[in-house]
Amino acid sequence: MSRSPRAELRRAGIAALAIAALIAAAIAAEVRPSRLLDPEGHAAVRALLRGLLPIDRTPEFLRVVASATVRTVAIAVAGTALSLVVAVPLAILGTATLFRRGPLVESEPRTPSRIALSAASVAASAALGVLRSVPDLVWALLFVVGLGLGPVPGVLALAVGYGGMLGRVLADLFETVDPRPLEALRTTGATRLQILVFGIWPQALPSAVAYMLYSFECCVRAAVVLGLVGAGGIGYEIALSMRMFEYGQIAALVAALLALVWLTDAASTALRRLLRANVPAGALGHQRLGLGIPGAPRGALAAVVIAMMVASAAAVGLFDGGALELATLSRMAGFVRRFAPPELSPGYLRTLLAPIAQTVGISVIGTLLGVAIGAALGVPAAAPYAEDDRARRAAWLARHALRRLCRTALSLMRAIPEVIWVLGFILAVGLGPFAGALALGVHTGGVLGKLYADALEEVSPLPLRGLRATGASPRQILVWGAWPEARRMLVSYTVLRWEMNLRASTVVGIAGGGGIGMALYNDVQLGFYPRVATLILVIDVLVMATGWIGDAILRRLESASLATRRR
Amino acid sequence: MIYELDAVGVRYPSRRGEPASLTAVSFGVAAGERVAVIGPSGAGKTTLFRLLNGTLRTSSGVLRFHGRDAASLSPREARAMRRRIGTIHQQSLLVPSLTVLDNTLCGALGGWSLVRSLRAAIAPARADVERAMAALERVGLADKRDARADELSGGQQQRVAIARLVMQDPEVILADEPFAALDPALSEAIAALLLGLVEAGRTLVCTLHDVELALGLFPRVIALRAGRVAFDAPSAAVSPGALDELYRGAPAPSPVPPPPGPREPIPAC
Repeated sequence: MSRSPRAELRRAGIAALAIAALIAAAIAAEVRPSRLLDPEGHAAVRALLRGLLPIDRTPEFLRVVASATVRTVAIAVAGTALSLVVAVPLAILGTATLFRRGPLVESEPRTPSRIALSAASVAASAALGVLRSVPDLVWALLFVVGLGLGPVPGVLALAVGYGGMLGRVLADLFETVDPRPLEALRTTGATRLQILVFGIWPQALPSAVAYMLYSFECCVRAAVVLGLVGAGGIGYEIALSMRMFEYGQIAALVAALLALVWLTDAASTALRRLLRANVPAGALGHQRLGLGIPGAPRGALAAVVIAMMVASAAAVGLFDGGALELATLSRMAGFVRRFAPPELSPGYLRTLLAPIAQTVGISVIGTLLGVAIGAALGVPAAAPYAEDDRARRAAWLARHALRRLCRTALSLMRAIPEVIWVLGFILAVGLGPFAGALALGVHTGGVLGKLYADALEEVSPLPLRGLRATGASPRQILVWGAWPEARRMLVSYTVLRWEMNLRASTVVGIAGGGGIGMALYNDVQLGFYPRVATLILVIDVLVMATGWIGDAILRRLESASLATRRR
Repeated sequence: MIYELDAVGVRYPSRRGEPASLTAVSFGVAAGERVAVIGPSGAGKTTLFRLLNGTLRTSSGVLRFHGRDAASLSPREARAMRRRIGTIHQQSLLVPSLTVLDNTLCGALGGWSLVRSLRAAIAPARADVERAMAALERVGLADKRDARADELSGGQQQRVAIARLVMQDPEVILADEPFAALDPALSEAIAALLLGLVEAGRTLVCTLHDVELALGLFPRVIALRAGRVAFDAPSAAVSPGALDELYRGAPAPSPVPPPPGPREPIPAC
């Protein structure tokens, strides 16, 4: 199929625009590869690496590590519990198919209460959007300033940030269940809430639980990071040791962090597998609406989970007088009032242009770096395509060893949060956006590499076997078989990751990576709250804009991939 | 009279393509009557049913249920109206991940408070379970009480839908192509069940594409074509010529694809 010259021109234009945007991003993020060759930086990194060994194993310090780990877990569990409290009501109210549009709503008369309810539903969706777009570390920073140091602000930050994330996904799940059974329930005279309980919730349950577990994993990682701004736990200890150049302590703390993250992942993966949505019908047992593991007494799991949540909430001091007192609430309200009105003077807004450009630049360069690292490690991390290689035992073993190695490397890059990476890169290339971009790149590489590898492994093996039979080499199978099949998923993962990285790039700024995050951190420290309000608004707008651009890119690629498939 | 329709019109942009509509539809249904609604696909049968069971509102004209204008009902009264009308769909439309027993219990939702239904979701009251089991026994599926709805065959699902109807205990039964998805032997069994329910003095309105079946089982036939009533007559008085006229040039029915299920979300970190 030949293209019209007009389309050809358009393509060229878009490509030129993309390259220009890339160069602009690189300039904004102050990308200077020469800094990577700087002998001074090398010496600092060497000192760090050499300092990591021997790991600090003195009993006193191990006790510190243990208590920091326990505290991190407690913050994560309590934060997840509270995030459910935030997410579920907002998600229910924000479900468009229950309150705003669709057959369940249209059959009702237009009473004032119905109109009020749909307005409330719009407000709930908007609230979820705002909660979600402000990064967790920013929430933590604000709660720490408002409530003082300690784990409670960390818990609240998780509750609010991940509550927004989870609420949005739950509302999405509720909206996409099969609507036909709901209409059938409607005809029996069921109310909308009854339809939610008997029609929507059972259909959405498996995915909802899977996502809650994901969210818990995220909370564990985030709880580590929140320590950096004074919420306590492993992150706090890492920041402390870094300041004192006690690298041996850092090694012990990072080891604890890795163990914690890997254990959580393993536990959550195992649980998810038990509750998987796509197990054969009936394998979930005859669970009623509660949680149920086949073989376990009904409700036992739920009881354990609830007990853990309450214990964690108590452990982080959520029930200690201070946290729930009226005085605290009024203090919080007074604190919130100091943010209004946001500083919007043209002079100040002009000073924001550079940090905004930096933040966007960091996110773009970080994501690109992540794609490069992810592709380089993700492809060898996917299982060998041809099972019949088993015949050549040595080659097969080597291939598997390589896969394990790549997977471990990716997992390491993923487990250490961007904010911790940035502390290391600051040593190597100095403070500033380049360190932020590098940190983002390494962490993103770990995330994308795993997603790429998983997507490649999930490609249906039959067409690949067919290619194999024609005598194609493994590399040819990758290009002609796996890539076209997995492409859509790979691209959409990457675009979604870029959206998340925009949020993350404000966060690495807080740890010294430049951009809006750094400005925000400074303004919070100096007590310029109206400016902080403006910066939060800016982050909000940026996150929404990237979401919108990302959607546009995905839609474009989707139609383009349909066209090329026909070619 | 149970239903009185006076020049009822419906006009709405259908989400599934062609605009579905009804124009100036007038007829009445008395208590205890058995009525078949026939007509080519796209004639507005399903739209008419959604009007009759109170899940769609008229754009013009008046629909009275027990003498009350359906458009004047408050949301609470509208729900009470729906509770008195039971609907059977072409496909059973059970909640796939709930058990047969839970799906049957759903029939009683219209009469339950939110608290009672939440309780039923966790542990239903013994009396409710007994009623649901009696309904399941009636359709011969008592032994499947703990099976998930999506493990059942199409005919079994349709029987569970009837059990849900028994649980609801409505005074009017609306059946929208109840046999369309079933083979002839199953159709007969389901028809027997439905007609058995009606013997207790209930009213039955049923759409059918099988004209023979409609004329054989129902004393009265209402024919729709292009959103209007083509004729409304006792079965004995329907002539072959009128039927030819009704179905001439009618498009073949096109199946509606089921919507996609919930997506698996992508991890957030």
